[in-house]
Amino acid sequence: MTRKQEPLEFWKDWRLYFLILCIVLVAELVGPIDFSVGPGVISLLPLLIAFAIGFGLYFTPIIKEKQSKNAQSFVTLSISLLVAKIGGTIGPAIDTIMEVGPALLLQELGNLGTIILALPIAILIGVKREAIGMAPGIGREGSVAIITEKYGFDSPETRGVMSMYVFGTVFGAVFFGVFASFLAAFTPFHPLSLAMASGVGSTSMMAAASGSLIPAFPAYENEIVALAGASNLLTMITGIFVLTFIALPLTLKLYQMFTKRKSPNASSKMDAGE
Amino acid sequence: MLKNIQEWSVVLVIVGVIVVLGNWLGFGVMPFEAIPGMLILVLICLAGLFIGKILPFNLPSMIYIAVLGVIVSLPATPGSEYVVHATDQIDMLAITTPVLAFAGIAIGRRWADFRKLGWRVIVVGFCVLSGTFLGSAIIAEIVLQVQGIV
Repeated sequence: MTRKQEPLEFWKDWRLYFLILCIVLVAELVGPIDFSVGPGVISLLPLLIAFAIGFGLYFTPIIKEKQSKNAQSFVTLSISLLVAKIGGTIGPAIDTIMEVGPALLLQELGNLGTIILALPIAILIGVKREAIGMAPGIGREGSVAIITEKYGFDSPETRGVMSMYVFGTVFGAVFFGVFASFLAAFTPFHPLSLAMASGVGSTSMMAAASGSLIPAFPAYENEIVALAGASNLLTMITGIFVLTFIALPLTLKLYQMFTKRKSPNASSKMDAGE
Repeated sequence: MLKNIQEWSVVLVIVGVIVVLGNWLGFGVMPFEAIPGMLILVLICLAGLFIGKILPFNLPSMIYIAVLGVIVSLPATPGSEYVVHATDQIDMLAITTPVLAFAGIAIGRRWADFRKLGWRVIVVGFCVLSGTFLGSAIIAEIVLQVQGIV
């Protein structure tokens, strides 16, 4: 019990529980706040408000160093509730998922597109091991859980996936809303393909992306909504497996390949840069 | 082991209570309607964490939790109708809110490191989002064309 010099085990931190309760209640009362920007809608969901309050409180005396340290241990455990919930939404949708079939399953592998595009660029601009957390996926809850559990909270990999998580949380919905309508207007993609691609991120990203496809393809409204939803469900479950067994190993291999090639001058770049 | 289970249970139950209250305020579901579903989710988590701990494979417990969630909600599983109805009372976003509140507090300590990443996060972030979307759309397009659906 007294192996480490922690004054208290993390799970007995009642002050933290109370603070989280207050933050959650305030966030749920305030949000969501919607405002539209061009073709997309920025939705400030309660989760974003909660994140902002928690983050802001860290810089006040209300949060002591101990609470912040303990909060790390709580992230993984509380995410597991979310994973259980997502798992529970798959069962009832199993018929839909069977119907739409192989295209829907295979497009999950399209998530690997991020590695091909993002990893070389990340390394090129001087990101180091953080890139391993950033590149292999869109960095939603499941990715955060896996990377955090594999590398530990204080690792550069976790910093990478966390920064991607925050980035996606803040910009994901509006980016996907604009990007989807851009692709609908300027590329020959079929609306069904774009609908499936809409499901690659969080639920709010999916809503923004599929929502902005509908004005472009009004005849396909029902198909777009159904396929985006099914794809979103699939991503949440298969995303964990694709990340663990394909994306993360692939990222590690490519990372080693890329960094070996430019290793002579790579080591000091990040520390010296801004 | 016992101590782990005790820790997990305390944390999950307390976070569960917070979620149920947030679910009430944010989504208008009365707590007594949400409690059975929350208990089911807590039990799934505990089972998944336990399995992850005792099995020798080095897999994240999240995978066991996800698989258990799917299994108990499949129409073929006895009692799944009740499980689905009960867990439906809890909105996914209501669970996400406390998760992010914890993350916000925890991230505060990492702010200096996070800022060191700075503009790079924005560049890589746009590549990640657009790469994922494009990759999925391209594969879906190819498969749908091969199947002759489009």
